[in-house]
Amino acid sequence: MFFRVVGESFARNPRRKLLMAAALVLGMAVATATLTVVLDVGDRLAREFRSLGANLLVTPQSDTLPLEIGGVDYRPVDEGAYLPESELGKLRTIFWRLNIVGFSPFLEVPVEFPVPQSGTRPATVSRPTLIGTWFEHNVPVPDGTTFTTGVRITHPWWRVSGRWPADGARECVVGVALAQRLGVKLGDTLALRARGADFSLQVNGVLSTGGPEDEAVVAPLGVAQSLAGRPGQFRRLLVSSLTKPEDEFARRDPAAMTPVEYDRWYCTPYISSIAYQIREVLPGVEARAIRRVAESEGHILTRVSGLMWLVTLAALLAATLAVGAASATTVLERSSEVGLMKALGASGWTISFFFMAEQILIAIVGGVIGFGLGVLLARFLGQSVFGVPPALRLILLPVILVMAALVALLGSLLPLRRAARLQPAPILRGE
Amino acid sequence: MFWRLLWQLLRASRGRLAVALVAVVAGAAVCSALVNLHLDAERKLTREFRTLGANVVVSPAREVGPGSDASLLDAATLDKIAAARAPEVVAAAPYLYVVARTADDRSLILAGTWLDEVRRMSSWWALQGDWIVSRDDLSRCLVGRAVARQFNLVPGRELLLRYAGRSVRLIVAGVVTVGGTEDNQVFVNLPVAQRLAGLDGRIGVVQMSVTGSAAQVENVARRLASALPGLDVRPIRQIADAEGQLLSRIRVLILATVVLILALTALCVLATMAALAIERRRDVGLMKALGGSMNRVVRLFLTEAAILGVIGGALGWVGGVFLSGWIGRSVFGSAISARAEVLPLTVALMFGVALAGALPLRLLGQVRPAEILRGE
Repeated sequence: MFFRVVGESFARNPRRKLLMAAALVLGMAVATATLTVVLDVGDRLAREFRSLGANLLVTPQSDTLPLEIGGVDYRPVDEGAYLPESELGKLRTIFWRLNIVGFSPFLEVPVEFPVPQSGTRPATVSRPTLIGTWFEHNVPVPDGTTFTTGVRITHPWWRVSGRWPADGARECVVGVALAQRLGVKLGDTLALRARGADFSLQVNGVLSTGGPEDEAVVAPLGVAQSLAGRPGQFRRLLVSSLTKPEDEFARRDPAAMTPVEYDRWYCTPYISSIAYQIREVLPGVEARAIRRVAESEGHILTRVSGLMWLVTLAALLAATLAVGAASATTVLERSSEVGLMKALGASGWTISFFFMAEQILIAIVGGVIGFGLGVLLARFLGQSVFGVPPALRLILLPVILVMAALVALLGSLLPLRRAARLQPAPILRGE
Repeated sequence: MFWRLLWQLLRASRGRLAVALVAVVAGAAVCSALVNLHLDAERKLTREFRTLGANVVVSPAREVGPGSDASLLDAATLDKIAAARAPEVVAAAPYLYVVARTADDRSLILAGTWLDEVRRMSSWWALQGDWIVSRDDLSRCLVGRAVARQFNLVPGRELLLRYAGRSVRLIVAGVVTVGGTEDNQVFVNLPVAQRLAGLDGRIGVVQMSVTGSAAQVENVARRLASALPGLDVRPIRQIADAEGQLLSRIRVLILATVVLILALTALCVLATMAALAIERRRDVGLMKALGGSMNRVVRLFLTEAAILGVIGGALGWVGGVFLSGWIGRSVFGSAISARAEVLPLTVALMFGVALAGALPLRLLGQVRPAEILRGE
């Protein structure tokens, strides 16, 4: 009997149901699309923030004070401590290894240019530096794989006109300001002297970074190591990693946490926990967050995802109200049916039950279609903004269905209560 | 007659209209809030990006490594920079680096600067102790974390620095944790470093924090460069590139979300309005039976829909002002200014949506009154 009544109602007047369903589909599509995007936006933006470069600095623990200006170390090579290059593969074995986007070791060597370079002006450079690093280097990871990293990943704003030096070759790129002063061109051979020994490198390109590297020669790490007489060693490691913005919990001291809290902290990609895990695999190092990058990133990420959440909330609210209104309208316009049912002896409860069953049926069908539509929209949105579609989250489906059902019910509740109180006779008369 | 009919119509179906009005107002509120937000978000976000600190550097045209006098600017440059200072420049600080020696003959880098300006562009520095607030405080210094650890310094301790036979005695005011080069440096006010190095009135570089989009920053840099001949004014690429890329991503993200929500919210309202129109069948039938021309009847209902759209749009705009204000306060800590030009936009949008929603009425042209009045 119940199914016959509901079925008849759908069969007899499909257009009315269609409108209600249309409102539901659209509303739930908005909800699905915005929720899918907002759940993904933190991860996506964290990846975009890697264009700011490294957010972790790894240095030897027992080091002398670096004489650094603008990130370039001017210490002589026989001062201070070094780290072994061979251990670096271990960085890809930490708990959050997949969050390590890239890393670059650095070794700076003070050099001289013994021969005045071609051009009118003799070389008067007082303390130029040769920076040794990885450009694009394959690092063997202890689990048997290799990981490709270097400044091309950690320093995306470095630009070379010419060619990047090959790792291990006796090649270099010259900073744009230094190249201008020395009159060095692409393809020249650059003669330099370090620790009393002469050395020559082929100039592969001119490097422009907008930073202190514009004043330096940048060469593969191996070259710098042999110049410094420090094979297999480096001074400084910059790590670029995907992190979660720090919150109150992240700022607490891990030593003072309970075991449960410690596990939670360890298994959250906070910058402090990643630094801690790096210290675990590389003994004798100090890993610090580069606060300029980390703090700003956290700050802006929090703002943007907060903004997106509020926009989503507003959209959900509007969708809810519109669906509720459509639901209310469909119930309101059927007061004559309510009157007829009452005249035939149905109680207020029975009538409400019929209507609600109908609404829930529409809500489920509309919710499923809306979810599908919303997923498509979210894919389109993610693809056009970040070039990567957001992950499909099936967990949203039940959430959306429950929301659809609740909204449809709430929308019909008020008019149903009013309809239940009405006297059948005037309604049937059409008043 | 028309207006009387309309008035009666509106009064008779107060309940239904109220429900539809709620939908229109909610839709309009979201639309106007989002448009407001979108118009303001970029300005707000560029301001947020200033937490990244200095993004423009002024240096001698041919910068050389530290320590050589040829590479220094003179103090007159500072006056010129101050004179050419654009409103976009949030903060500007000169730097003079000196490789000083400590009492036990270890080297460290002493940075002379304007500490009051530095504070404004380095919000990420974590400070333990006091900041040196005044530019005239020449007896105290801030030390980086690594320096503090190497030399066992805490706020209140004394630090003796020497350079070429001159020396200066400084009291540590605070320890800063920066996570970078600055951890290895000691910060003092500019005259202290100048006196120690014997370079009165000379500075190394000037760092500036300039607000605005990448193009605006370029513009400010170019203007400064033409006002300061012989100097190299350039944006710091690391910050400028990343900021430009991130801002454009975030802008597209917000725009895409806003357009999507606008479109779907409008469609939701449309569906509600269409539902309202369809249930008017009965009324239309009655009016036709009483001899009303179809044209006239449709005009009546279209006017009803239009009134609903305009009132809903205007009310929604007011709601949107509050909504965007609230969003601005809770996300950015400052309200988003309401824009008057959003009002006509919202009203027009809702007007259009309401009219479009009333379109099913045209279908009613085929309705035969007798059938409808019989309730079929």
